[in-house]
Amino acid sequence: MLEMNPAPVLVEDMIALTQRLYHEARLLDAERFEDWLELLCDDVTYRMDLKRRRFRADRSPPAAVGAGVVFNENFARLKLRIDRLRSGYVWAEDPPNFVRRVISNVEIEPADAENEVIVHSVIVIHRNRIDGLARQFTAARTDRWRHGTKGWCLAARDIALDHAVLPDSNINVFF
Amino acid sequence: MDVSDLVDTTTGRQKRTIYSNEELYKQELERIFGRCWLFLVHTSQIPKAGDYFRTFMGEDDVIVIRQKDGSIKAFLNSCTHRGNRICRADRGNAKAFTCNYHGWSFAPDGSLAGVPLENEAYFGELDRSKLGLVQVTHVAEYKGLVFGCFDPDAPSLEDYLGDAKFFLDVWLDAMPGGTSLLGETQKMELGSNWKLPVENVCGDGYHLGWAHAGAMSAVQSMDLAGLSVGNSSTNLEGGLSVAGMNGHMALTSLDGVSGYAFYPEPKPMMDYLEANRPTAIERLGKVRGEQLWGSQINITIFPNLQFLPGLNWFRVYHPKGPGKLEQWTWAMVENDMPEEMQATILDNQCLTFGLAGLFDNDDGDNLAACTEQSRGWRTAQMDVFTNMALGRSGPRDGFPGDIAAGLVSEHNQRYFYRRWQEHMQAESWAEVPTYNINSLSVEEPENA
Ligand code: FES
Ligand SMILES: [Fe+2]
Repeated sequence: MLEMNPAPVLVEDMIALTQRLYHEARLLDAERFEDWLELLCDDVTYRMDLKRRRFRADRSPPAAVGAGVVFNENFARLKLRIDRLRSGYVWAEDPPNFVRRVISNVEIEPADAENEVIVHSVIVIHRNRIDGLARQFTAARTDRWRHGTKGWCLAARDIALDHAVLPDSNINVFF
Repeated sequence: MDVSDLVDTTTGRQKRTIYSNEELYKQELERIFGRCWLFLVHTSQIPKAGDYFRTFMGEDDVIVIRQKDGSIKAFLNSCTHRGNRICRADRGNAKAFTCNYHGWSFAPDGSLAGVPLENEAYFGELDRSKLGLVQVTHVAEYKGLVFGCFDPDAPSLEDYLGDAKFFLDVWLDAMPGGTSLLGETQKMELGSNWKLPVENVCGDGYHLGWAHAGAMSAVQSMDLAGLSVGNSSTNLEGGLSVAGMNGHMALTSLDGVSGYAFYPEPKPMMDYLEANRPTAIERLGKVRGEQLWGSQINITIFPNLQFLPGLNWFRVYHPKGPGKLEQWTWAMVENDMPEEMQATILDNQCLTFGLAGLFDNDDGDNLAACTEQSRGWRTAQMDVFTNMALGRSGPRDGFPGDIAAGLVSEHNQRYFYRRWQEHMQAESWAEVPTYNINSLSVEEPENA
């Protein structure tokens, strides 16, 4: 929906948050997971829901207990995933894959809380796996970033993955 | 193709060409996927009339539809005019399916209901009664699981399942409310031959400690290799590898709690098991009610259905060529479980064996690489082995099947390849042997 009169976002915030997204991507590309965790709020939520593929006219109800998720993480569960990747036993990541994130379509809106903003972005993750095998994930992200004493921290991330069939045998990466 | 030399179950050996050969793959589509009963849908996924679910039988695109009278029919998802796919959605509810190409429309019972310009273009001479959707020959249900079969000469579903029903019932019939599959389908493409994930889950307890070491070191509550669970623990000899049931298999622990003790907060699960244990014993008998219900069990229905009470995932593999497959997964629950517990199960299934599953994500590359290493001119001629614990199986009191003690053996895999070979050699169902080794006699489990 196009807001005719969007509340103004400060240019400084715009720059700071866009830089945060790029910085975050570079930390993750370099597997600097502990540094990445520093950018997250303690109460962070990190979600990727399974999507439905239905006819537009379909009126069947949503699944009773929920659609299911790809990610439904809090800080501790993100840490758990990092512990796994750091264990030295995740053979699919050794040798390390060439991973590169491209972040685009950054758009910032005010949030309900005064010290928070909503940040929309698109992420493309390229991974070169074994030999010449390259795989790519595309997703949209809707974030909530909060301004505190350490600057901006990520309070919530909702990821919409644009693949009906996951085109790879694992998701050993963060979006 | 003659496959008599490609599998030798007496020594536990397979030729690698079975994972890469195009001609064998076509023969599999005919003699395995064209002949066996294949899982289509769980009744919970299409509860109401007009509800439909799109799936595959081998590489054939199929729609399964709940009829007005409550029965279930399945059709090829292909327009009888020029072959277009008639349904592009995963599932939903529909009063009709209209083909995108020229607009023929089909009713949920498969009949051709409408043809644009029927009189003008066909001069009213089109026999619509002969142009309904092509129906899957047999569709039958076993306690919520709906299967389809293309072969008119196939045995009944009950006979096909044979003694595997002993294990199926531990999940499907322990509680009076039955079971459900939850959520949307978790679909993943793997560069693997379809047989490799099936044999991995049907019997390969061997890989757990190493392939999943990363996940296990991080998820302290889940030691799949040792099956040590919360406070209780089971040693490896405490499990059974059960095969020789018409090509179906079970890999099970015997403690009655290990499935749910894996959960980070197992208390509500343990309470549920304790509260309902008497019901399970009453319905399944003492052996199954006490030792199997609540245990971690891997159940495999030949050729491509697997589900794991405990870890609570339910999965089917659709072949997409000799070196590719789609893996479809759901969480599964008993309907008697409180909704909170069901939600926990769904969440945990997605965490462990979902698309970003901490454990599931360890398997794909191994299976893909085993497939690739069977494609070379030299590697295709080589053997791979499933000879662990060969000749160390036998009967066991209270259980059907040919049983090897322990969760680490390659006993079940040998039976999987034996069944594969039997089907691939047979010209028709009449030549496919039926066997339920050490079948329990007719006595009711209640007397156990
Ligand atoms: S192909 Fe379906 S209407 Fe022609
Ligand atoms: Fe595995």
